[in-house]
Amino acid sequence: MTVDVTPAVREFLLAIADDKHLMGQQHAEWIGVTPFLEEDLAFCSIGQDELGHAALLYELLAGDDDAAIDSLAYDRGADEYRSCHLVELATDDWTVAFARHWLFDTADQHRWTLVSQSTVPELRDVAARVEREERFHRMHADNMLDVLLADATARDRFVTAVAALAPLTQGLFEPVPGEAEAVATGVAAGPFAAEWDAFVETIEARIGAVDWGSAPSQAQRTQRSNDWQALMARMREVIDLDLSATW
Amino acid sequence: MAAFEAFLDDGGIVEVDDDMPAEYRQAVFAFIEMHANSELMGGLTERDWIPRTPGLRHKMSVLAKTQDEIGHGHLLYMVAADMQIKTREEMLEDLFAGKSRFHNVFHYQAVTWGDQVAIAFLVDAAALASQQAVFKNCSYGPYRRILKRIISEEGFHMRLGEDRMMRIAQGTDTQKEIFQGALDRWFWPALQLFGPDSKPDDVLLRWHIKSERNEVLRDKWVQKFVPMLQSYGFTVPAPDLSYDEEAGKWDVGPIDWEPLKRTLAQGGPDSARRINEAKDNWERTRWVRDAMDRAAAVPA
Ligand SMILES: [Fe+2]
Ligand SMILES: [Fe+2]
Repeated sequence: MTVDVTPAVREFLLAIADDKHLMGQQHAEWIGVTPFLEEDLAFCSIGQDELGHAALLYELLAGDDDAAIDSLAYDRGADEYRSCHLVELATDDWTVAFARHWLFDTADQHRWTLVSQSTVPELRDVAARVEREERFHRMHADNMLDVLLADATARDRFVTAVAALAPLTQGLFEPVPGEAEAVATGVAAGPFAAEWDAFVETIEARIGAVDWGSAPSQAQRTQRSNDWQALMARMREVIDLDLSATW
Repeated sequence: MAAFEAFLDDGGIVEVDDDMPAEYRQAVFAFIEMHANSELMGGLTERDWIPRTPGLRHKMSVLAKTQDEIGHGHLLYMVAADMQIKTREEMLEDLFAGKSRFHNVFHYQAVTWGDQVAIAFLVDAAALASQQAVFKNCSYGPYRRILKRIISEEGFHMRLGEDRMMRIAQGTDTQKEIFQGALDRWFWPALQLFGPDSKPDDVLLRWHIKSERNEVLRDKWVQKFVPMLQSYGFTVPAPDLSYDEEAGKWDVGPIDWEPLKRTLAQGGPDSARRINEAKDNWERTRWVRDAMDRAAAVPA
C-alpha cells in the first residue's frame, strides 16, 4: 500500500522514517552488552519496534515489497537521507545509548501526535500502531530512570550523558523543507519545532535545567554527521558483497 | 539413592522444593547452568553480525531470534538459581571469569555473514535435537517446563536458518562461496556439540536428565544434514565421508575430539576474546546494577 504524496511531503515522511531506522539500527548494537539481561531484552525489543516503524513508513512510500523497502532504506546517496545527527551518533557507552533512547522516544511522542489526525489516512493508521508500541518504550525508559535518578552516582552519570547529547537533540526537531507543505496540507498538524518547548519541559521536569547548547549544522537534514560513513558502511557490509544477491 | 533412582525410573518428577540427593541437585544444576551460559554466549556470537544484517525486515527477524536466545538464558538462569547453589549474579561472574562451561560452538567466531546463517541452520538444529531429547523424559520438572517453550522457539530459528540457507543455495556464486566457507568452519563444531559417545555410567542418563545417548543424537543429525547439504549443492567438509548402501547410512569418518577438549578448557579459537569482552562489558556497567541493588534495598 503506497500513498500518493508530493515530493515535499515525501521528504517529510522520510525524515521520520530515517530517524526511526537509524535509531533501531543503533539499538541493535546493544543486545547482550547492556548492564543486565532484562535490559538486553528490552533494548532488543525496542530496536525491533523502531526498525518496524521505519519499515511501515518506507512501505507507505515504496510499497510492501522487501526489495523496494530495502532500496529506500539502504541505497540512497548520503545527501538523500533525512536523518538527524542524534541517531547517527556512534557510542559504546550504554549510559549515552540509554539517554538517547529516552530523549528520542520522548520527542518521538510529540512528532507522532502531530500526524495522528493527518489528512493521509494511512499515516493515521501507522501513527496509531506506533503509539501502541511506543507507550511501552517510554514506560521502560521511565522505570529505569526512576532507579538511576534515585541514586547519586547513577544520576550524575546519566545527567552527564544527557548534557553531552543536548545539542544534537535539538537537531531532532530540525525540519526538512517539505514540512511547511506537510503542515499546509494537513498531513501534519503543525511544525515539529513548535513542540520543542513542551519537550524541554518534560525533560527538565525529570532531571532539572539542561544547557542545550547550539544545534548541530544539519542543513535541513541534508548534511550527514561524521559518524555517518562508518554507520552506513556497517549497514551495507553484506549488501556490498554482491549487489545482485538476495539474502 | 536407590529409592530415589527407583522413583526416577518410575517416571517420577522432581520439583524444586522436593528432597533430592545432593549429587542429583548438583548434576542438574550444572547441566542447566551450562545450558543458560550457552544461550547467552550464543547470543553474543550472533550479535557481532546483527547490525550488518542485509535488509530491514530481515534484521528484525534476526534480532527476534537473538532476543529469544538471551530470553532462554534469562529463564534458565532463574530455574538454575532456584536450586540454591549459585545466584544468577554468581553464575554470570563465574562465566565471565572463565570458570564456567558453555557449548563448544560459541568458542568460535562468526567471521562472515555465511557463519551467521550456518549457526542458525546447523547449530540451532543440533541444540534443538539435544534439547528435545532432554525434554522427552526429563526428571526435573522446572527444567522440563522451560524446555517446552525453548524448543518451540528453537524450531522457528532452525526454519529461519533453513529459509536463508535455501535463498543462498538458489543465489549467486558469491553467496554460495561464502556459505561453503561457513560450512567448512561450522560443520565439525556443530557435530561435536553432541559430545563424544556417552559413557556407560553417565549419571545424566541414569537420572533421566538426558534420554538419549550422545552418539545416537549425533548420528541422527548426520543422517539429516549430510544429504540435505549435498542436495543444495554444498560440499560436506569430511574427507572420509562415505555412504553405506546396505545400511542406507552416511558415515563422516573418524571424529577429532581435540578441538572440543580445547573449548572445554576455554582454549577455543575465540574463547579469550569472547570471555574478555563480556567481562569488560560486565565491569563497565556494574554501576547500573549497583544502583539497582541500592534501589531495591530501600523499603518502598
Ligand atoms: Fe536458544
Ligand atoms: Fe536458537
